[in-house]
Amino acid sequence: MKERVLIANRGEIALRIMEACKDLGIDYVVVYTKEDQDSLHVRLAEKKYRISDYKDMNDLLAVADEAKCTAIHPGYGFLSENYRFARRVVKRGRPLIFIGPSWEAIRDLGNKLFLKKLAKDLGIPVIPGTTEPIYNEIEAELKAEELYESLNSEGINNPSLLVKAVAGGGGMGIAEVKDLEELRPTFRKIKAYAKRLFGDEGIIIEAKIPTLQHIEVQILGSKHGEYVHFGTRNCTIQSISKQKRIEIAPGFNKESKYAFDCREAEANIINYSLKLAKYFKYDSVGTWEWLITPEGKYFLMEVNTRIQVENEISAKISFVKNKQVNLIKEQIRVAFGEKLKYSQEDITFKGVSIELRLIAEDTQRGFLPLSGTITRFKWTPKPWLTVRTHVPQDQPYTIPTQFDPNLALAIIYGNNFEEAKKRSLEFLNDIIIEGYTPKGEKLVTNIEFLKEKLEQLYQFVGS
Amino acid sequence: MKIEYQNLNLMLQKFKANPYKIYPVLTPHTGYIKEFKVKEGDTVRGPSGKWLEKPGSPLFVLEREKNQKIIRAKINGIVQNLRTDLLNKFVEAEETILEIKHPLSQKEIISEILLSALYIIKAPETARYILSPALASRLEKQGLGKVKVKKGEEVLIMTFMKRETPIYFSEDGNFVLYYIYFTPFQLVERDQPLLGFCQEENLPYLQKIIERIKEEWSDF
Repeated sequence: MKERVLIANRGEIALRIMEACKDLGIDYVVVYTKEDQDSLHVRLAEKKYRISDYKDMNDLLAVADEAKCTAIHPGYGFLSENYRFARRVVKRGRPLIFIGPSWEAIRDLGNKLFLKKLAKDLGIPVIPGTTEPIYNEIEAELKAEELYESLNSEGINNPSLLVKAVAGGGGMGIAEVKDLEELRPTFRKIKAYAKRLFGDEGIIIEAKIPTLQHIEVQILGSKHGEYVHFGTRNCTIQSISKQKRIEIAPGFNKESKYAFDCREAEANIINYSLKLAKYFKYDSVGTWEWLITPEGKYFLMEVNTRIQVENEISAKISFVKNKQVNLIKEQIRVAFGEKLKYSQEDITFKGVSIELRLIAEDTQRGFLPLSGTITRFKWTPKPWLTVRTHVPQDQPYTIPTQFDPNLALAIIYGNNFEEAKKRSLEFLNDIIIEGYTPKGEKLVTNIEFLKEKLEQLYQFVGS
Repeated sequence: MKIEYQNLNLMLQKFKANPYKIYPVLTPHTGYIKEFKVKEGDTVRGPSGKWLEKPGSPLFVLEREKNQKIIRAKINGIVQNLRTDLLNKFVEAEETILEIKHPLSQKEIISEILLSALYIIKAPETARYILSPALASRLEKQGLGKVKVKKGEEVLIMTFMKRETPIYFSEDGNFVLYYIYFTPFQLVERDQPLLGFCQEENLPYLQKIIERIKEEWSDF
């Protein structure tokens, strides 16, 4: 039977999956909600179904059956890391292929506490702190004292601690404690907040890493026990709410001076990532996220069990037997049970790639997301530039208010860091994005912020 | 006061000439239309009871993933433009299946006319809205038409693009919250009315307008 993929996502990732399917000679079907009817992914698809919500599992599965699909690609966000959905897809009466890792891997690797405990057991460095949820403030104080002393004994003077809600994330339910005297009131405050917002009062205490870089390792595993990596990415430049804005691959600037051996650090975090991937028999693309300090200490932060927004910068610098790789195509191939047909020795890396996330947001007002209508969207094509966007260039486009106001991803290639940076600036000076807000004001984007931040690539930042 | 008595007459005449509003009934999600529970010209009723605990009339059955869902009327009226051609067919989400020709009630006429009489805060974006906690708590104690608001006071919270943005009252003068046009946490389209405010000194006049509508308009 011919394979047919239901693309359960929107925007640029839906377009990239469509492109990958076409290249592989696989049929596909797209879904969309009413707000997205003018999006390019809908205009360019032949078979499309309107659904109520991208997170409505029943709608997606009903469409999959109606369209006689054999697999579902969840993209990123929405249901991509929902293990219940992945389990339902593969275990239903008419099972489908879930283009992603096994549901067990999604479940276990997505549980931050479980992951931290397991990584510790496997000898993988994690941020020092507790690995069980704490509910009692006396216990919290004892654990904080132990952690404080242990950090002191490692030569870290006056360390800061973070009190975090287990169920929190994205900067929510987190507070810094600079003095142990503050621990109890902070614990009480975060516990009450966590109960109110997440219905789970569990708290963990971790050391605060004051200055860091955010490094990712791109992993690919197959159902045949094959594991490779596609190097590292540096995603340190983020918005105030910890959302990535510029990414660069490779993750370390090997022409720059570090206070540690960056090649050794990179090799170590890749090896640790592969160790965990093998432990889980991980059989898809995945991203292992690390924090690294200016002294060269590194800590595993989390694992993203899906294709990442920024996957293409890794692909741009990765060559399999001298041919550029496409990670989405690799993800689809391995999901259908194919072998990799290459090993780590066949993968080489060349050049530097930068991704710029173009977003309708006011960076001067706390990265306020903006809605409105794009009336002009234009850039000069270049051989070193790939622009991924769902925004049409031939007609006005109204940004739906139900989603983040992402407009485009620009992926820039250079033979070295300086060239990639120069080209990125050239692109940012060239691109035209014009539009207006519902109040008739000029629509603002983050272009100026991106220009400014290009200068900070590969630098350590305060957390 | 933005409304004159003469204007009120004109408005009432307009409503009397066409006292209906057409409500399309859409599929809430994808699925197969398994059965129609109504036919063209049938009269249907929306939810009723003190707490709207009695469901509306059944309209059609939508089946998805082996689960059948009865889609019910959310408003009173007469069925028209029934898409019987869709029986046993797969339908997408938000497909129009029928229309309900709804006779406007006295309460709805009051609500429509108040739009011209009150100071209205409209939805700045298509988003979900709730009353600010402070205003909601005062409203619970005092009731509509009694809660005073001042310029600069937070009256609404808009949930939009994963963020919460406060909306402030921006008029000078002594206003009271008189009418609420939205349901909390439901999606409101941009420019749709959210809240209606009346200047305190105009309250007696507003009451007179409402009495007048009540006299002239009785429910079907």
